[in-house]
Amino acid sequence: MIRLDGIEVRFGDFTALKDINIHVKEGEFYTFLGPSGCGKTTTLRTITGFIEPVKGTVTVKGKDLTHVPVEKRNIGMVFQNYALFPSMSVYENIAFGMRVKKVNKTDIDRRVKEMAAKVDLTDQQLGRKVAELSGGQQQRVAIARALVNNPEIICLDEPLSNLDAKLRVQLRGELKEMQRKFGITTVYVTHDQEEALTLSDCIAVFNKGFIEQIGTPNEIYSASKTEFVCNFIGDINKLSPVTVAKINSQTGRSLNPEAATYIRLERIHVNEPHVQGRAVLPAKVIGAEYFGLYIKYLLDLEGQTLKCIDKNDGRQYLKSGDQVEVAIDPADLMVY
Amino acid sequence: MQAIKVPLKTRLARMTPGQMIMFGILAAIFIWFIMACMILPILNLLKTVFFEGGKLSVDAFQKLLKSSRAMKALRNSFILAPTLSITVGFVGISLVLITEYFDIKGSKILRLGYLTTLIYGGVTLVSGYKFIYSNTGVLTNLMASIFPNMNRNWFTGYWAVLFVMTFSCTSNHMIFLRNAMRSVDFQTVEAARNMGASQWYILRRVVLPVLLPSLFAVTILTFITGLCAMSAPLLVGGKDFQTINPMIKQFADMTTTSAKSLSATLSLVLGLATMILLAILTAIERRGHYMSVSKVKTKIVKQKITNPVVNVLVHIYAYVLFVIYVIPVVLIVLFSFSDSAHIQMRQLDFSTFSLQNYVQLLSQNTAYRPFVVSIVYSALAAIIVGALVIVACRYIQKRRNSVSATALEYSLMLPWLLPSTMIALSLMLAFNQPRWYMFNQPLIATLQLLLIGYIIVKLPFTMRMTKAAFFGLDDALEDASRNLGASGLYTFRRVIFPVLLPTVLAIAALNFNGLLTDYDISAFLHHPANPTLGVKIKSLTEEMGNSSDGVALTFVYAVLMMIISAVVLYLVYGRGSRDDLKG
Repeated sequence: MIRLDGIEVRFGDFTALKDINIHVKEGEFYTFLGPSGCGKTTTLRTITGFIEPVKGTVTVKGKDLTHVPVEKRNIGMVFQNYALFPSMSVYENIAFGMRVKKVNKTDIDRRVKEMAAKVDLTDQQLGRKVAELSGGQQQRVAIARALVNNPEIICLDEPLSNLDAKLRVQLRGELKEMQRKFGITTVYVTHDQEEALTLSDCIAVFNKGFIEQIGTPNEIYSASKTEFVCNFIGDINKLSPVTVAKINSQTGRSLNPEAATYIRLERIHVNEPHVQGRAVLPAKVIGAEYFGLYIKYLLDLEGQTLKCIDKNDGRQYLKSGDQVEVAIDPADLMVY
Repeated sequence: MQAIKVPLKTRLARMTPGQMIMFGILAAIFIWFIMACMILPILNLLKTVFFEGGKLSVDAFQKLLKSSRAMKALRNSFILAPTLSITVGFVGISLVLITEYFDIKGSKILRLGYLTTLIYGGVTLVSGYKFIYSNTGVLTNLMASIFPNMNRNWFTGYWAVLFVMTFSCTSNHMIFLRNAMRSVDFQTVEAARNMGASQWYILRRVVLPVLLPSLFAVTILTFITGLCAMSAPLLVGGKDFQTINPMIKQFADMTTTSAKSLSATLSLVLGLATMILLAILTAIERRGHYMSVSKVKTKIVKQKITNPVVNVLVHIYAYVLFVIYVIPVVLIVLFSFSDSAHIQMRQLDFSTFSLQNYVQLLSQNTAYRPFVVSIVYSALAAIIVGALVIVACRYIQKRRNSVSATALEYSLMLPWLLPSTMIALSLMLAFNQPRWYMFNQPLIATLQLLLIGYIIVKLPFTMRMTKAAFFGLDDALEDASRNLGASGLYTFRRVIFPVLLPTVLAIAALNFNGLLTDYDISAFLHHPANPTLGVKIKSLTEEMGNSSDGVALTFVYAVLMMIISAVVLYLVYGRGSRDDLKG
């Protein structure tokens, strides 16, 4: 559906994107994830046409769009601030794109109302000024406005970043539901890894203008391709060379102790029945954070502090100073 | 801070004797000033209009209707104001689009050129334009050498006034409208493009609607400026195009009582018109501006004009405007170094350049005196206004919503409703004889009179800005200080005042700047032996056609004033620190 091939973008002397290759399939929810300044928004803006790359091509359904102006692309976009026109009503905001295209009035009216119904906006809300709507309603107006022209693609640039935590989670759900309902190809930009993992079919992790990894949420999380990705996504422990050597000696593996070796928090098993192939090491509890759903323990293992989480299923509740056994499966290690 | 209402009686009872004496003195000063310098003179002016000959009558209005000169002036003003609103609106919007919205080559230089009206306005500007366009002006000479049969007196009357004022009244646009443009959320422009809108469509449907409230406001201000025009019609209006204000001045200078009452009647008409317009303005402001829904605004990216022909035309237009704005300034600076002979011939000869004119200004009493007079008056007025308003604001802040605080606030804002010529005239008419409320001292032809006038006209602006600063203060500061045991006065002196000081100084600087080149008020109230700079420049400009050494002085004055204004504006705005004053 969307192909970016060898995209390079420069701002003056600064190379913002280098050799970006991305293939978004039809109907897919595709997320660009990365810290601020990594190039994810730049890539999105290259797709929508606000930025013209110095090298590479943008094609949609086999058609080269690289030099097609923004207004001719028919790619819907939801902006970070929604960019709702403050001087117009909700109705006029949604109708804007059709007015530009000089669609006749009855069609505009019909389609605005249809679209408003789809995103749960009432007739009364259509007559309001955008400033009178809540954050969630504004987001729905922005989405309705982007979808009313029936674009084949919709691009969303951190649409949830300005909202408070609770609304963010609620709207995240609504967004996914809407994408499922419309079945539209979606490109989504965020710096929030949780958002990326819960929403996406496919994620591209950006860093300093490069793509570090492209994959499904599970691939990105459980089999991070680079040290940057495994550190950026979720919480993680870095194991000391001594611990790696001990794992080697117990399991007969030959991991390089000097290599950067990581393990996710939930892959450290505390006081569990022994399983073939896992290394078992003694440790001491030095702290705990109680989350209710789970408990996060701080363990001292050979002078190294490890974090781990334990499902709060009533099986055990450890206190500082308790001696424990920690089991690690070498297959869970990510080595770079 | 809690707005707990403590009755005045209780507050007085809680005061120490020292505090009570101070409160009494301050209250007396304010009540006297407001009554004696503002309310009673205005009432006296109304009396002049309605009680001519001792009993209530509307004769004054009948006289006005019969006076063909006065009626013509009224008509001219009401022709000038709307047309000026249109021309200034057009030029003003294009200046803002050129400097802030479209991608125009050299826009930084253009912006500097367009901003020259901020340091170069009023009577100085008119004198500069006259130097270029009048019958012996630079441009007229140039054109006459090409078209020998042309009418050398082409630059006079309605069109000349309209032209001069069109370019001198764009300051409000460059301040307020530019700010509005800068606060446009650029993502909305991108969103519109994304939905396929063309450049013109976006400008018309997305950008301009957001600017509309500010545009309304500046248009009304322009309309009022047009009605109250003074120096432009005086200097380039000629016989046929005099407006209300010059007429008020002319009638006021006559000795007969009927001329004086005609003058007062005209000023009353002007005052009423201004009040109606300001009421409309307030209604617009109350309706509010469009609130952008964005939490984070995206800075505007200059739009390249896509149509190449339009692009070239807009560039040409932008530079023509630039030339119109900059040429008078450049010529004034250059000619200020030239000798009188060359100024007379309107010829620039770099070999004759010297500092002679500057030396003359500094060494001749008659030459530097107006300059010193204006500086002293402006500085004194700025300081006194600042001090008065700080005390008043503190009182209003402490006694929020009380009757006395509200009365104080409205009284000090009152001059905002009245044209400055009306205020000046009311002072002039009130104090040309002894009044009990002025301790039986006639003030006409004294040095104090103009100072009082300056203080009154600067009250509303100072009040608005200072009050905003007061109410913008973090109340917790005051609470913290009181909590640590500081008294009210100590808290004000050591905590509140230091925080406000930069704003207070900035306001004083702007007031100083505004008064330095004043003509409208000084024309009525100046001391005969001590003309202000504005009065002096005006009389020198009138002599421009004749052979006179004084013309060179005009340029030196203008250059020095531009320097002072530029420095003040730089100190206030230039370092980007005083955002709260940017409108």
